[in-house]
Amino acid sequence: MSRNSVQWRQRPQLPSTHYADPSIYSDPDLFEQEREKIFKKVWWLAVHESELPTPGDFRTYRHPGDAQLVIVRGEDMKIRTFLNICPHRGNLLVYTPSGNSKNLVCIFHQWAFNGKGDCVDIPREKAGYQQRVCRNDVALKEVRTEIGYGGFVWVNLDDNAPGLAGEIGGALDSMLPELEAEPMETLWYYQARLKTNFKLIHDTNSEFYHDYLHIYNRITGMLKPDSGYFQRKYTAFPGGHASVGSMNVSYESYKSSGRGQLGWPKLAPNGWKLVDLFPCITFNLRTSVLRIDSYIPLAPDDVIYEFRLLGLKSDTPEIRRQREKDSAVIWGPFGRNLHEDLLASSGQGMAMAKGSETMYVLQAREEDLTIHDEVGMRHYLVEWSRRMGRSSADPYASERVAARAA
Amino acid sequence: MTQTVDRRELEELVYETCARLDEKDLQGFLGLCDPAFAYKVSAYAPEVRREMTWLDRDRAEIEEFFGMLPKHNTDRNPLSRHAQVTRVRMDAARQRAEVTSTVQIFRTQLDGGATELFAVGRYLDTISLQAGTPRLLARHVKLDTRDLGWGTHLPL
Repeated sequence: MSRNSVQWRQRPQLPSTHYADPSIYSDPDLFEQEREKIFKKVWWLAVHESELPTPGDFRTYRHPGDAQLVIVRGEDMKIRTFLNICPHRGNLLVYTPSGNSKNLVCIFHQWAFNGKGDCVDIPREKAGYQQRVCRNDVALKEVRTEIGYGGFVWVNLDDNAPGLAGEIGGALDSMLPELEAEPMETLWYYQARLKTNFKLIHDTNSEFYHDYLHIYNRITGMLKPDSGYFQRKYTAFPGGHASVGSMNVSYESYKSSGRGQLGWPKLAPNGWKLVDLFPCITFNLRTSVLRIDSYIPLAPDDVIYEFRLLGLKSDTPEIRRQREKDSAVIWGPFGRNLHEDLLASSGQGMAMAKGSETMYVLQAREEDLTIHDEVGMRHYLVEWSRRMGRSSADPYASERVAARAA
Repeated sequence: MTQTVDRRELEELVYETCARLDEKDLQGFLGLCDPAFAYKVSAYAPEVRREMTWLDRDRAEIEEFFGMLPKHNTDRNPLSRHAQVTRVRMDAARQRAEVTSTVQIFRTQLDGGATELFAVGRYLDTISLQAGTPRLLARHVKLDTRDLGWGTHLPL
């Protein structure tokens, strides 16, 4: 029987860990708090070191904490990150997403900075500033940077945050042999701007019950009793991270798979491992290619989805082509699965937009932590609630209490 | 055939491929293609200074690919392709022509009818001239647009 408004908005008779208040996906105030309490505090995967192979190479990164960054490989081969802003008049220092330059030179007044962030030139320095300001008095603002887990470059705006290893904990341990087997190289990087909440897209990597959305995954896994699909288990780690165990994907079952026999060092043939990191990074190693999802949330209903594909630095052109072909079957802008994932999470964004009359969102499947268990999302929201100081099932409880007291 | 007639026939072939794809007439599109047809979509990523190949299929693979499309969940909003042939290079010895077109692809919402620009780029076509009937031998869609939102299952 259909529901009236009161019934529709009724809290589920479930533990509060097993459903979410829909406002966490649409409320602008909560989003601003996420920016302050989460985005500015955690380590973000910004680029891969292969994107800056030689001294002088740089890459820009739009940090979710609302900062423009530039990542530079110095003459000493060390990778450092700086705010992408000239300390003179606040102009953007680097305009292009990548490049190579001995120094970063601001177009506005030609102030120049080396790969350590030192100011190395101020045109007509003494004529204008005499002894009051000199190049040693100014420098770029450095942002904490660590390299790890397969050569990825991680950044953190918080000078006092724990180190990267402390935040990741053991979440990536199950994939480390594959990530560190050989030097990797970024093959694809592209963005997709989507009208939805970043947590909703991350959910599509945190639960596999939605394989009903993907005929590809049903044919190559769910419907194959010997694939180990239903034996895949979630492991939850402190900090809201979770990993999913491997399986044996039956690629040949899907016509038009176009896949070769290519694999990945130390990964079982046709294997597939996945790790979700809080708040929105996914390592997805599927047989022959590593896919990295990361997100740049701009507003509660607006997100830049960053998609990276990695192969091995030692790949021949033929192997690289096969990795791209393998990936393109299901991933990329034309991939069978990714298009379906993004349709669904964008549909959630449309249906649950602010002002809509939205029910509580269920995350209540329990199947002994196996693949259709929704523990991944539940575990994520426990960490979200801890960092936000609010329950994801009842985010306004403290305001209600305060209003009653008043 | 004169050079003028040749060029017009080639232009008509390019435009007809757009029309067939706009109609989602994938079999009709394949009917304009050579048995050795190959299809590729790529874009250059300035972030990583590398060409990304997002689709790379031969005729058999693309036929299977089309066959599976009805079984997938997919965006139903129609795409319309606006191509303009800009260059034709004949290779009489090999009975081929290299035809370059600029292309803009629009997406129109089924709900409400708003149209938005989906992608811009170029068709780099190789056309077989054998047996007097132009047939598309290879199409490389070289996109300038890299942000395609939620993407599409359809060839561009």
